[in-house]
Order: sequence, then C-alpha cells, then structure tokens
Amino acid sequence: MPRIYIDGLPYEADSRQTVMEVAAANGIVLPGFCWHPKLSVAGNCRLCAVQVEGRSWVEISCNMPVAQDLKVLTDSDIVREYRKSILALTTLNHPVDCGICDKAGECLLQDYHYEHNGAPSTSHEVKVHATKFHALSSRITLDNERCVLCSRCVRFTHEISKTKSLGIVQRGDTSLVRASGDGAFETDAYSDNVVDLCPVGALLSRSFLYKSRVWYLKATPSVCPGCARGCAVNLWHRKPEWKLQALDARHNRAIERITPRDNPAVNGPWICNRGRDLAPLFERERATQAICAGFSVATPAAIEGARSLIERARRPVALVSSWASNEELAAFAAALGRHFTVFVKRDREPEPGEVVADDILICADKNPNSTGALANFASAWGPGSTLPEGTDLLLVWGEGFDLAQVPQSLRTIVLDAWKNPGHARADVFIPVSIQTERRGTYTNFEGTVSGFEACFEKDDSVAHAEDLFAALAAANVAAA
Amino acid sequence: MGARLLMNFELTPTSHTLADYRARGGYRAIEKALGEMTPQQVTAEVTASGIQGRGGANFSAGRKWSVVNLSDGQPHYLCANADEGEPGTFKDRWILENAPHLLLESMLIAAYALQVRHAFIYIRGEFDLPWRRISGALEEAYAAGYFGKPLFGTDFVCDLVVYRGAGSYVCGEASGLLSSLEGKRGYPRNRPPRLTVRGLYQRPTVVNNVETLSNIAGIINGGAEAFKATGTKKSPGTRLISISGHINKPGVYEIEPGGAFREFIFDTCGGVPGGRKVKAIIPGGISTKVVTGEEVDRLTLDNEALATVGSGMGSGGMVVIGEGTCMVRLLQVLLRFYHHESCGQCTPCREGMGWMHRIIDRIVAGGGRPEDLEQLKKISAWNDGNTICGMGDAAGYATVGILAKFSDEFEYFIAHGRSRHDGNLECRAST
Ligand code: SF4
Ligand code: SF4
Ligand code: SF4
Ligand code: FES
Repeated sequence: MPRIYIDGLPYEADSRQTVMEVAAANGIVLPGFCWHPKLSVAGNCRLCAVQVEGRSWVEISCNMPVAQDLKVLTDSDIVREYRKSILALTTLNHPVDCGICDKAGECLLQDYHYEHNGAPSTSHEVKVHATKFHALSSRITLDNERCVLCSRCVRFTHEISKTKSLGIVQRGDTSLVRASGDGAFETDAYSDNVVDLCPVGALLSRSFLYKSRVWYLKATPSVCPGCARGCAVNLWHRKPEWKLQALDARHNRAIERITPRDNPAVNGPWICNRGRDLAPLFERERATQAICAGFSVATPAAIEGARSLIERARRPVALVSSWASNEELAAFAAALGRHFTVFVKRDREPEPGEVVADDILICADKNPNSTGALANFASAWGPGSTLPEGTDLLLVWGEGFDLAQVPQSLRTIVLDAWKNPGHARADVFIPVSIQTERRGTYTNFEGTVSGFEACFEKDDSVAHAEDLFAALAAANVAAA
Repeated sequence: MGARLLMNFELTPTSHTLADYRARGGYRAIEKALGEMTPQQVTAEVTASGIQGRGGANFSAGRKWSVVNLSDGQPHYLCANADEGEPGTFKDRWILENAPHLLLESMLIAAYALQVRHAFIYIRGEFDLPWRRISGALEEAYAAGYFGKPLFGTDFVCDLVVYRGAGSYVCGEASGLLSSLEGKRGYPRNRPPRLTVRGLYQRPTVVNNVETLSNIAGIINGGAEAFKATGTKKSPGTRLISISGHINKPGVYEIEPGGAFREFIFDTCGGVPGGRKVKAIIPGGISTKVVTGEEVDRLTLDNEALATVGSGMGSGGMVVIGEGTCMVRLLQVLLRFYHHESCGQCTPCREGMGWMHRIIDRIVAGGGRPEDLEQLKKISAWNDGNTICGMGDAAGYATVGILAKFSDEFEYFIAHGRSRHDGNLECRAST
C-alpha cells in the first residue's frame, strides 16, 4: 500500500492505481476530459497534468502510476500556466457558443475554461469549421466543432457496449468522430450513454435537443422500471419555481429526459436506451375516474364498492403487480394477504423490436419488482395459469392482464393508473398513482433494493395503492 | 569517410540476393550466435558494442534489449521499424533494397537474443521496391530454411511477417506502429508502460530501426570491440546518411562519425549547386534543429558535436539548404507537413500544429504581425514534452531552431510583407 502526497497531504493508494484514481477516490477533482473511471486511459486531452515535486515539467496524472512517497502538486505555478495553455488550445477551434449549446450548465469545458483559464484567445486565425449537425444515428447528433476528441464515446462502444460502432476518421485538427458504416451504432442498445459521457456539447440527444436549459430542470432520483435490473436513474423535470404559466400545463409535469445515476451495485454509470425512452410510458393518458358497476363515481364510493365485494367474496384471488413497490406489496400483504389467494403477475412482456436480454444490463424480465413481489407472494401467474376452482372475485392490480379472459359472472376489481377501455368491464375500477407520484423501493433480480422519489403530486381522484389496501380491508380485517 | 560496415560490397543486379549474400559470408553470424552464445551473451555483446538506435532517438539498443525478461513466460515480439517517414530520410531504404538479407539475418539474431518466436517488419506502404526486395529476400530465406524451422540443430524457430503500412508519419513512431500492426488506428500510446513491458498485443516488444538491426550481424561476427573501434567514443559504428536538398550528389552515404562536417558536404557530396554557400543544414531529419552554414564549417559530424549547437544526427536524414533560400517559406513547408501528419490524438499537437501552420501561412501571405513569432515559440513550448509522442515536440524543435537562427528574416518578412529572398525554395545566388 504505497502512500503518496497530493499537495502535501498523505493518501493511501493501491499500487495498481494512478494518481488520478487516488485523487478521485479522495474527492480531489483534477480537471480532464478524456479520463473516465470506467474506461481505459487515453491520455489525449492532456489537461490533468500535475507536477511531481522537484521536477520542472508537468506529467499527466491519469497515466501516472503511484509510487511510494510520490509527491505531486496540483496547483503549482507551472501546473496553472500549463492548464491555461491546454485550454487555450482546446478552445482554439471550439465555437464556445455556450449560449445556444445544449450542454451549457453541465459542460466540463465551460467550467474548466472559467476556472483555469478565463483569458481571451490570443489567436488571430479564423476558427476551423467542421460539420455542425452530423446524424450519428436516429437518436444522436454530433456537432463536430464542439468535439474535443477525448475519445470517450469511441472507447465506450469498444469497451462497454462492445459494438465498436464509433471511431475517428481523418487526422490532426480535421479529425472527426464517425459511426462505422455497418449501422451498428444505430442498433447499439446503449448508444445514448455517449451523450452523458461526452464532456462537451458535441454529442446531443435528438429527443432532448433544445427542449430545455438544464438549469430549469430538477433531477429526481429514481429507479428505471424497464426491466428487472432496476438501474438507478435521474428523472429530469421542470423545477417548481420555473413552472411555465403560459404554455400547456403538461409541460410542467413532463419528464424531459432520463439519465443514469451512478450506482456501482446495480448499473454503474450506464443505462440502456430503452430506459431513456420510458418517459412516454409514464406520460400515457391517465385514468382519473373511478368506476362502479359501469358508472363513473367518486373514488371513495368506488373504494366502498370494492370493499363490500371483498367482504362478500369467499374465494377471492388477487393478481398483484410486479411494477408495485415493496412498500405497496407489503401493504397489500398486511391488509389483504390472508384473505386472497395471491399470484404475482408480470405487468409487461418484451415488445417487438426490444432487446430481450444481454450480458451488459438488460434483463429478460421487463418488470422492476418481480423479486420483491415474489418475496411477499410465492406464486407466479404465467401464461398457462388458471384461476383456482370456485374463484368468486378477481382483483387485478396493474397492467398486463386482459379482463376479457375471465367469465362475465366473475366479480372483478381493477386497480390501474392508465386509461384502458377494458376497465369498463370491471365491477369496480379505482385509479392508482404511478411511480413518479410516490416514493418507494424495488428489489432487483439480484436482490439489491433501490429507492425512488416522487417527482410530481398525484391527482386528488387517484389513490396511492399503499394507502388504499388498508381502506379496502378495514371491515374485512375487523371481521376476521 | 572511413570504415564501411554496411555498404561494404559492390552493388550489382544480384547483390541483394541470398546467393550473393551467402557468398559474402551471410548467415554465418546467426550460426555463430546459435552455436556459441546464449541469448544473454548476444544481448551483452550488443550492449558492449555501444550501438545507439539509428531511428532518431539514439537510445542504446543493448539497454533496450536488456529490459526484456527472458523468463517471464510471455511471448516476446520483435519489430523492425521500416516506416521511414521523416522528410529527407531515406537511408533505411538503401538497406531494404540492397542488403535485405543483412536485415533478416540480424533480426534472426535479435529474435534469438530476445527469445522471439514471431518477428515483424513494418514497412511504409509507399516503399515499393524496398517492399518487393525484402519480401523476395524473405521468400528466399524461408526456402533456405532460415525461417519457420528449427535452425542449425537447435530448437530455435522464428517466423517473420512483412507488414505494409498505409503511410502515415506517426506510424513510424514505435507505439503508433504497433497499434497499426495490431490493425487499429495508428495512434501512439502513452508511456508508461514501455513497449518492452507492454507492446504488441500487450506483450514485451522490441522495436528497432532497420539500420540498427542491420548492424547486429556485423557485431556478432566481428565482436563488440571491433565495432567500437569505428566511429567516436560515444557514437560507435558507422552511420548511414541520406542527403538531399541543395546538394550536388544527393544519395545515401555511409560515414564514420567524427569527420569534418564540411568535408562531407563539399568533398563527398559535391557541395551546393552553382558553387554556392551552405545557408543551413537540417542534419538528421526535420525534427533535429537546423545548423547554420557557419556552424557546419566548424563542426565534426557526430552527435556530440551537433549537441553543442542543440542538434543531433537524428534519423540520418540530412537536408542541405543553399544560400538564397527563404527560411520563412521553408518553415511554412515544414509546418504544413507537421499539420498534415499530426495524428490528432492529443490536444497540444492536434490544435497546435494547425495553429502554427495558419500563422506561418498568414505571414507568408503578407499579413504577419510582430507578435506572431512569440506566438509560434509559445505554441512550440506548449507542445514540448506535453504530448503523447514526440511529434508535437519535433515540430516545436524545428520551429524554434529556425526562428532562433534566422529571426532577422522573419522580422523582415513581417515588417515588409514580403520575403527577403523572393520566397525562394530553390538555391539562388544571394542578392
Ligand atoms: S461544449 Fe461547452 S464550452 Fe462548448 S459551447 Fe457547449 S457549453 Fe460551451
Ligand atoms: S464526441 Fe464528445 S465524447 Fe466523443 S470524442 Fe468528441 S468530445 Fe469526446
Ligand atoms: S503528439 Fe501529435 S502525433 Fe503524437 S500522439 Fe499527439 S497528436 Fe498524435
Ligand atoms: S484526463 Fe489525463 S490526459 Fe485527459
């Protein structure tokens, strides 16, 4: 375990670490574009240089192995001068039009330039122009003028998503990142990670482009419900203080983008493209109207109706949602578990064209909490499953079950969040809240529990399932 | 001009063939090495000879070899760097065309010393005749059983592949060369680790220049002492010099370091056309700093003497610049080259080369500003030691070297918006 010194302070290091890694592990931020903890060292941006005490030159820290008693300075005169020079070079042909750049507010170059240089350019030459909007795929566009050629995106497709679908063509200051001609970037299920990886505004997500300045947005920590991996994500939506008054109110409840939230235990810093595309799933037309015996009713009336159906039922069956949180499942188990025969239902199956599973992140089970649900209720409802003999009430919670399958004579209670014409067939329908309106936890297929927070308030007519079950059980429990 | 170690036979239409090489005593050094020496002894002999790399960096070849741990259980690789791309440098070409078996035999010896099973020759794509000659020689050598089979009753076997590069300056840089050989983009790699620790396919690899390797057979045949008896104390052996530019007899010459520089230029190479003066000489490829005609007159031709004026023998590519040449235009040509060849991997070189090129273009176009010269020096300094490979530094050396010795010409150009020498790149009488 060598000990090294950074700016005079001692740090324990692993002999396989670089100075950059030791610094990062101890919360010391050394500027740099090309280094990324999950990618190989490229050492091409040259910004992370430090001075080894006693030497009159600088060396890059991302490729500097630690050695016992190595002493590095990160803020000496030489280092400061050197950083200025690198940033002067980096911005030589870079447009620095942060005002219209989608990365402004989260761009490393913008930050470093102000922190470490700030001086106007000494160049009298005309900037070299490059392709402004080059479509790397139908999802990602590339502004070559802003690219600092850090090669993070290229290394990502070689080392992480393994499609090797990006490379660099040409030489010198005409170098350009380009997708390989075989179209592999288009079908790379992880391609959008390069947008987050890109330290500057060169790689732009076409779905987010010019939608919002990031400082108007708030990131709510959440868990992707797209599959049983349960990747940690951030859901970006407008901050309450920046609510739009004039435009359609839906803008204030929109999820503007979904990005990974680094969770070493689950997904590291990556998510798949499917996870980024889930916002429309949340933004489908909501069910807000409770129904009882074919009539629209107020939610309390529907709850009352459901309660009396449950009370009368002798052999009730429940199909619980694998999109439900552990807290909701526990509430169901506590309130109604003993009364019902419970099966865990899959709310979603792979859709045509969707990657079913791979050895990176994507799991074949497209539900976030099958593991949590099955920990509460052991029986799974599968394609061949049938209702037990004598079932007289069916409670269906969530999506993925077609009510048309059940005989008309069977009483049904449906709890769902989104509008579906099938709901009218139910004896009682109660609208419930969705993930973005509540907080809770999911247990992923490996047993890791991750929590998510609420982004928005729910509608008054919608019930939180977690509260609802106690209400449904009130009389029943009393009678038991 | 002294001893001849490489150009020591008469060139005939068949002198490059195996039969002729054997008639000259070829392939006896490998027999000797295998029969009488351990791999360690071969390396010790090479180290004792003091031979320095002939590719430009002048690093001791023996020291490079000694780093390879023969008992590490890994494959080791050997690669001859035949990607001769420094402007003005074409001396390895002579060996590839005229003494290909000397290179092959020497590589067998090196492969034995380094316990290499697979060796490579990475050759510039544009080198057509050299490629045909070395490939033809390799075919002959395979047919004669020197490659691909156990040699001389030992269990030493070596296979060799000739790989043609696509022609990029940076692929002559050892690590860029290996990336290209691996089938990747020819980007140089960061050190550490050194290539002798992690080179081709992440295994210990020795990359040597063609001329360096070609001396090995001679060192084994004649012994380290005999080798050291030629050249100077610090630069033993001979050097191949390719000379071009404003010179009457351009070509490849073998010299023994230590002789008078002036003698080489005027007596051996016939001096400057029209009997004109030498204005300057780039002694060892454009990455070495230029020496003035006045310096040429008083220097000997060796690394030690050249170092006193901040230069060196580099890659042996000598470019003579006769009087009347415009140094501003010359620097423009050099910077155009560096700009064109920068691989674009690291920031200072990628951006700096283009910047320098554009500044000099503007000066030549008559739009120079006094502060431009400082700016050129500053960009050179920003590159110095701060790039992945030596290319960024090299451009700076060339620039700083010319600016230091011919600043008056640049100042004149900027002040008057035109060249003091009419922008000549040809050799003209002084006006
Ligand atoms: S990439 Fe960064 S520095 Fe460049 S224009 Fe965009 S925000 Fe500004
Ligand atoms: S596009 Fe972005 S990530 Fe890719 S090389 Fe350029 S700056 Fe780096
Ligand atoms: S110094 Fe220039 S040629 Fe060398 S790696 Fe950097 S960009 Fe490429
Ligand atoms: S972060 Fe070290 S060179 Fe880019």
